[in-house]
Amino acid sequence: MEAFFATKLDEFAKGKISRRALLETLTVAVTTSAAAGAANAAAPDPALKIALINHISYNCPDFRKAADWYSKVFNLDQVGATKIDVALPFGKKGEKPFGVTANNVPLTSMIIRSRDLNAPQAGGAPRRKSQAVIEHIGYTVADFDRERAKVELKSLGVENVRDGGLYSLHMTDPFGYDVQISGVANNALSDGA
Amino acid sequence: MEKFIDGLIRDFESGRLGRREFCQTLGIATAVYAAGGAEANAAPAGRGFKALGVNHLSYECPDYRKARDFYSSMFGMQVLNDKGKGRANLAFGPEPAKGGNFLVVHNPGANPPKPTEAVIDHICYTIPNWDEAKVRGALKAKGFDAPTGRDGSLHVYDPFDYDVQIANAVQENAFRR
Repeated sequence: MEAFFATKLDEFAKGKISRRALLETLTVAVTTSAAAGAANAAAPDPALKIALINHISYNCPDFRKAADWYSKVFNLDQVGATKIDVALPFGKKGEKPFGVTANNVPLTSMIIRSRDLNAPQAGGAPRRKSQAVIEHIGYTVADFDRERAKVELKSLGVENVRDGGLYSLHMTDPFGYDVQISGVANNALSDGA
Repeated sequence: MEKFIDGLIRDFESGRLGRREFCQTLGIATAVYAAGGAEANAAPAGRGFKALGVNHLSYECPDYRKARDFYSSMFGMQVLNDKGKGRANLAFGPEPAKGGNFLVVHNPGANPPKPTEAVIDHICYTIPNWDEAKVRGALKAKGFDAPTGRDGSLHVYDPFDYDVQIANAVQENAFRR
């Protein structure tokens, strides 16, 4: 980092860059480095490096109703149904997740359930009351065009469809849960930039 | 693609999109298209949408910095767009715009979320090269002495008592239920 500072200072001294450019470059370098340093203060162990969302556990009063809605809107199959839940993978058996080439990363799924969240878990202890909430989920859909998507959602009977940011739509599922859809233009780099 | 670009130009002309955002978005779209996105972007023949996967999870908590530090230091999520204004993106998996997921950790907004009958009671993340001893050892080193669950599928709580599951492809797979 010091060598970088020196180089920039030399460039300024030789008139290659303006004072403003120097100031901006150094500010960015320092703040970026500080942020990275803070984030890396406790280095992650490679053994815990995650590759993708495996599943979302969605709990509601009627899992069949929710599953049918998500199947209809997102063209998802329902597999492995039990008396209290069903899985909806984002793809067909044997397919790899979008963007993944590894063989040991399964398709992301929704597991839609109807269960008592206050009942003791397998370990015997009751589930803790969380201070955090996943208050909406964004899904990536192919060939997303907002205006066309609005028409499609309306024809599917989806409620409360509204614009979200520049590139997405929000809607409400049958249990009032906020669902967002977008194309790949909405991503970790563009969202909140 | 033409329609997409047309929309971008419209947004730019109306001032809803800055020059920088315009160029960035178009750059991403170009990269995805060049990488063979056309096949993935093919719309389904029937009704509804072809869902490619999860884009992001919006995680609201009392202090986003605490969540940011936990998920980045524990699971190697990459911190992006943290401007110190109450939210950050935590990216993982494939690159952004190429199938990557991200967690948006944020402080509560002015308006609390509307009450809903549905709840996401936990999220499970895949660890691809699962080594039972190493995973349990790494959890222990982070202070998680007794995760619940079973070999290949473990649960811990994050700093806000949100249930986090980690698993391998064998123990948690929709087609092996």
